[in-house]
Amino acid sequence: MKKKLLSLFMAGAMVTALTACAAAPAAPAAEAPADGGEAAVEAPAEEAAAPAEASELVDGKFAETREITVEIYDRGNDGGSNPEDNDYTRWIQEQMLEKHNVKVSFQKVPRWTEVDDINNLLAGGTAPDVCVTYSYPTVQTYADMGGVIDLAPYLETYKADLPNLWNWLGETNLYWDKDPATGNVWAVEAKLANMNRVVTFIRKDWLDQLGLEEPTTKEEFHEVLVAFKDNADTLLGADADKIVPYSVSFDVGWRAATLIESFIDPDISDKEYYVNGFDDRKLTQNGTKEAVRLLNEWYNEGLMWNDFAIYGSGDTTEDDMMKAGYVGAFSHNWDYPFRNGEDSINANLKRLVGEDAAFVAIDPFEDKNGGHNKFLAGPVDRKVFFPSTNDEPLASLLYLDFISEPETIQYLQIGEEGVTHEVTEDGAISIIAATGDAIQNSGMNIDYTITCNGLHLTTEELTNKSLAYTYAGIDPEQVLKANEIAKTDTRIGVNVQTGNIEAEAGIGDVLSSKRDQIYDQAVSAAPADFDSVWDSGISDYLASGGQAIIDERTEKWEATYGDTDMLP
Amino acid sequence: MSKTTTAVPERKQSFGSYIRRYWQLYLLLLLPMAYLIVFKYIPMIYVQIAFKKYSIVQSVWKMPWAKNHGMQYFIQAFSNPDFRRALRNTVGLNLLDLVVGFPIPIIFALILNELVFTRFKKVVQTITYMPHFLSWVIIYGLALQLFAPSTGFVNILITKLGGETVPFLNDPVHWIWTYIFLGVWQSFGWNSIVYLAAIAGINSELYEAASVDGAGRFSKMWHITLPGIRPTIVILLIMAIGNIVGSGFDRPFALQNNLVMNVAEVLSTYVYRYGIKGLQFSLTTAVGLFQSVVGVIFLLGANTLSRKLGERGLW
Repeated sequence: MKKKLLSLFMAGAMVTALTACAAAPAAPAAEAPADGGEAAVEAPAEEAAAPAEASELVDGKFAETREITVEIYDRGNDGGSNPEDNDYTRWIQEQMLEKHNVKVSFQKVPRWTEVDDINNLLAGGTAPDVCVTYSYPTVQTYADMGGVIDLAPYLETYKADLPNLWNWLGETNLYWDKDPATGNVWAVEAKLANMNRVVTFIRKDWLDQLGLEEPTTKEEFHEVLVAFKDNADTLLGADADKIVPYSVSFDVGWRAATLIESFIDPDISDKEYYVNGFDDRKLTQNGTKEAVRLLNEWYNEGLMWNDFAIYGSGDTTEDDMMKAGYVGAFSHNWDYPFRNGEDSINANLKRLVGEDAAFVAIDPFEDKNGGHNKFLAGPVDRKVFFPSTNDEPLASLLYLDFISEPETIQYLQIGEEGVTHEVTEDGAISIIAATGDAIQNSGMNIDYTITCNGLHLTTEELTNKSLAYTYAGIDPEQVLKANEIAKTDTRIGVNVQTGNIEAEAGIGDVLSSKRDQIYDQAVSAAPADFDSVWDSGISDYLASGGQAIIDERTEKWEATYGDTDMLP
Repeated sequence: MSKTTTAVPERKQSFGSYIRRYWQLYLLLLLPMAYLIVFKYIPMIYVQIAFKKYSIVQSVWKMPWAKNHGMQYFIQAFSNPDFRRALRNTVGLNLLDLVVGFPIPIIFALILNELVFTRFKKVVQTITYMPHFLSWVIIYGLALQLFAPSTGFVNILITKLGGETVPFLNDPVHWIWTYIFLGVWQSFGWNSIVYLAAIAGINSELYEAASVDGAGRFSKMWHITLPGIRPTIVILLIMAIGNIVGSGFDRPFALQNNLVMNVAEVLSTYVYRYGIKGLQFSLTTAVGLFQSVVGVIFLLGANTLSRKLGERGLW
């Protein structure tokens, strides 16, 4: 009897397990490419015709409630709010329902592995309707397979329904990625309202303590680093052996960007910059090798963090060292030490080290002309696209329209008065540290304003006045200084539209990880091995697809622009 | 259950009554069978991706054939320096694992078996197999705390004692040994369980007879215990050899870093990088198929060899 019962139970368990098995693996792996996929192949063609019909909106609203999902970055901040459910998501949901009768739900994707994650979601057919990524090659690769909706016909047909989107992004950003041959628009580019990139920071209190001036050249910068190292006992006492005069992470190409750029000719032609510019960390630009050689010298003099290469993306070890006060200088995003309110690097320094302890921005890397050359990428930021699994392109576009409304951007960036901001005496907005569900997981909620990166309030005057006050707990002077340096001697990238470069498909991630390896191995090589490590790394990079990209870019540039080396 | 099975050969019975009698056993078999069919056999349909130009939105039957009679992606893989390097590393690391990692659980089981004090034996056994349950990400976290060049505990100890920092994680050669060591540490306790079970199955009369004949500890180990577990050793060895071009994903992926990629990239991480991150599904399916075929060849080879040498094979 007992045995019978047991076997019945087992049989029951098995049936449940079987149905679960049959449902789970079949959906993404088997069915999606087979059936669901086929519909998608034909969909773009059908839908391309569909927008020609009259808009189904009445006063901007759907008659029946539509549902869409929107990707949201998850930064995993200590003590942050739930990125899928907080004051801002609820506000967006309310507004969208009220304005357009569209029900919005959010789907989080880890910020630091977003490309991998969005890849997996797309491959599994479970990507959100509105996707965001920093990687255009990913969009292009899926577009080549028919996995992305061509936005061009929708943008034209529904132009009248999307006034805010057109106003905010304009043709420049909407058509930034337009293929000149086919007219396809696979993604629209968010607008970089503030194009600031990388700036170098130094411990002002250490300089003062040692009676040193802020360095203005590489040589002076080097002297300061040496002084930090030699006076570690004075600066850190018992923790002297933990000192890191200059810190980079495994991502040397970003974290030493200003140093690398100072070795590149500021008058480089647009053509050369584009042809060698697939890697946004400047690996294959002329001059980069000498910059890395200098880092290699510093590394071997013991001026840099020994362990930089063994901690991966998203690891907080280096940030923790900065917060604890062991780091003398570093280069990073122009506002890096100000980010995250109470948990910002400068706030931590103030708490843990002392009232004067702070990183301040400096501009120490001179280029060959004596300026401080910095290359900016152009007014583009994230790429927003709709995968072909999106059944609600119009509702999704209305979402973009709503999120591009000046009032929406302002509300998301500064939140409620008294909760996330105060108004100063001269009328500027000053961000204060929020708590609970009002916490902004990303500075000024950049993760929600997916078509805008950088402070953009309803009037330009207010924006300029408020910029310095947007970092809770940070001295506005520090922000202004970093902002000024970030805007010194900049060269803004031009939009080169030569169409799809086939050699770039599917190779982006492989080449980026190779790039990081080359930078890391070259920086930490023994001085005598530097040349061989660098050269063999570069030749491996070129053989693995880098050269094919350079060749195709050269060819397509010449086909599009002829002999012109510079674009207007 | 044993009661019913012994009854089988006694009676001649029809298929119907046989099923009626043992349906419960077959029901129990259903779940593992379903698992194999759903997760191992159905996916095999998609092996053809290796010979076709993959598209995310097309049925696998409708995808066009790849160039060069469908062999395009195999040619591409073998002409890719990264693939060749990954293949070299996979075989190299697996061989090292085999040479270093395979005998250790056997030796450990032998030693453990000689312990008389059972409570101590149990404690040691439990402690040594515990790391098996740690994920590789956690093990890498521990390794960083211990072996990082400037903040690792071991290196701090070495420098405090006046020595030079050892680049356990950031120099390729040292990294290989760290990789092997961590693998052994994680798995030897767990792997020894099989051997301990086999040892427990050896007839104790053999030991008693040997003692009467005056055999010592070592000769008993050599002449009774080792031959007693030889079939187990051979079977595990055949399986390990069959896996020589295969590799787990978590261990190399968690332990890799940018400074040691030349020796640390293995096929599984290569497939991840090119296939999942780079969306080159056809290329990496080809690599996976190659791995499987080579694995089968090695498995069959080792099996045949062991049967030729008079051992029992897998079948």
